[in-house]
Amino acid sequence: MSILRRYWLTIVSILVSAVVFLVPFAFILLTALKGKQQANLLDFSWPQGIYLWENIVEVVTTRNWMLLTAFINSTILTVSSVTLLVIFAAMVGFVLQRRKTRWNGMIEFLILAGLMIPPAIVPTIVLLQGLGLFAKLHGLILIEIAYHLPFSILLYRAFIATIPRDLDEAAIIDGARPLDVFFRVIMPLLWPVTVTNIVVQSVTIFNDFTNPLYYLPGNQNATVQLTLYNFQSQFNTSYNLLFTNILLITIPPLIVFLFFNRQIVAGMTAGAVKG
Amino acid sequence: MAGLELKSLHKSYGAVEVIKGVDLTVKQGEFVVFVGPSGCGKSTLLRMIAGLEDITSGELWIGDVLCNQVEPRDRGIAMVFQSYALYPHMTVYDNVGFGLKLAKTPKDVRDQKIRDAARILQMEHLLDRKPSQLSGGQRQRVAIGRAIVRQPEVFLFDEPLSNLDAALRVDMRMELAKLHQDLSATMIYVTHDQVEAMTLADKIVVLNGGVVQQVGSPIELYQRPANLFVAGFIGSPKMNFTKVTIEAIGPGAVTVSSKDVASASIPATTDGLKIGDTVTLGIRPHNLALTTSGNLVGQVSLVERLGNETNVSLRLPSGESWLVVLDKDHDLKPDQTLQLTIATDGAVVFDETGNSRLPV
Repeated sequence: MSILRRYWLTIVSILVSAVVFLVPFAFILLTALKGKQQANLLDFSWPQGIYLWENIVEVVTTRNWMLLTAFINSTILTVSSVTLLVIFAAMVGFVLQRRKTRWNGMIEFLILAGLMIPPAIVPTIVLLQGLGLFAKLHGLILIEIAYHLPFSILLYRAFIATIPRDLDEAAIIDGARPLDVFFRVIMPLLWPVTVTNIVVQSVTIFNDFTNPLYYLPGNQNATVQLTLYNFQSQFNTSYNLLFTNILLITIPPLIVFLFFNRQIVAGMTAGAVKG
Repeated sequence: MAGLELKSLHKSYGAVEVIKGVDLTVKQGEFVVFVGPSGCGKSTLLRMIAGLEDITSGELWIGDVLCNQVEPRDRGIAMVFQSYALYPHMTVYDNVGFGLKLAKTPKDVRDQKIRDAARILQMEHLLDRKPSQLSGGQRQRVAIGRAIVRQPEVFLFDEPLSNLDAALRVDMRMELAKLHQDLSATMIYVTHDQVEAMTLADKIVVLNGGVVQQVGSPIELYQRPANLFVAGFIGSPKMNFTKVTIEAIGPGAVTVSSKDVASASIPATTDGLKIGDTVTLGIRPHNLALTTSGNLVGQVSLVERLGNETNVSLRLPSGESWLVVLDKDHDLKPDQTLQLTIATDGAVVFDETGNSRLPV
């Protein structure tokens, strides 16, 4: 009895979180298991038969194996943008933190502006068309880098402030050129923030729906989030297939999160307090 | 191995001038210590030699090379930082070998050099550890090892011992002195600790406000300070100063007196001094001795009995407070009146510009 009195708030919180976080997942899973007719009822009921395998085969082979193309595209997009993001953001953070010039205020303003001002879609498309990058995967990679750079820079800069400048100077005396200082001394020390950046940004970019929709039209260019539209239309939506698709494309980010979970928290708080 | 020459070196940050024209010659193999109070520019000067700070004007010669525009890596220098600045993600072995790796030294040569340095510093057993697994003294050794493997012309030390505890500092001080003997390399050492300066240096450079006050051997600086600043800075406890008036000028000496000091004859160069001039008299606490009829009378305000000597804080009639160090133990009581005599060979007269008037 006393245990209940002491922990009731904890128990209630756990139950509430479980409902909030697990019920949607359960709904996805259950609907993915159902056949077309039962799924279309959109209710929270036990499946009358297990049609998961049939659903998966249908989803993957739809529109000439579009989901596979989408997975390949999304992987290229995510890996390239995150790699470049990490390198560029760390470099900008390093220079911004270490070299004080009268441009710093301006640069910081631009970084904040990049966070706050919503992107203008139509002018960007016109610009991309002019550069011949519209509807090209590398065009979208550049877009994703540009959109996510400010946040990464802020993360890196705060952390670099905690790395003593003596280390740079020791390396310089040891004969390191600027790129050596950055890649051999500073970059390895940024690992906690790099992990955070990799996880946060790759999940965001992998799950990005709007940017590929605007900047990457065409069946051959589909990314995973766009495949969701294969199964819904104005008059006919196959909910079982839609939810199977959701289930399939939710798995990769989930794996990334499970693997790096602990390091993410460490990286988010790293740099906040000098250790 | 090479010497070093600084010619009229200046450094300004915007309108603020921190190094105001330093001229200095360091001979090959010399151990030179820059000493001075915080903010006197000693670290800045060292960093200018290292190439971490730009030289605003003047010339820096290392060996026969004008080094103003030379990159730090090409100056033939190695530096040990106050914070050690070890690379936290590398083992001791990699820390020591980092410079060699960057210089693309062949692996076997590199390995040999690292192990040699480790042997010299007795840290062979530490090579596989990360800096976080080392104690302060061990980290210091690694930092020195990193400097040794570069086989530099000049070693630069920026307050290397100030992060160590007192006992370890004494040990490391001796090791540094030994290292200097073994390597016979040119070393420049920055410290604000005058004991380190006195014990290690062949030559001390006293800096204040970006200006060299005096250059000389430790004993020279102690016995023949060039000015009030050096006299007050070198020597522990501090030299006592008081304003006195010249009563008489004799050959090679002046007789001075004040409210506190009954006429005392102090050796000095007399040219330019007139009777009635006000000058400053400086006396080291050790150069006062108890007598029955001395030229100094004061009341004891505080006594520290250390056994081998007694530190007395003395209140003079003018209200000034002096420190006196008496040889051997004396059982003195507060408010007791003491008569002291000034050992005239240990007293220095400073003229009104603050320069000392020691006899040549």
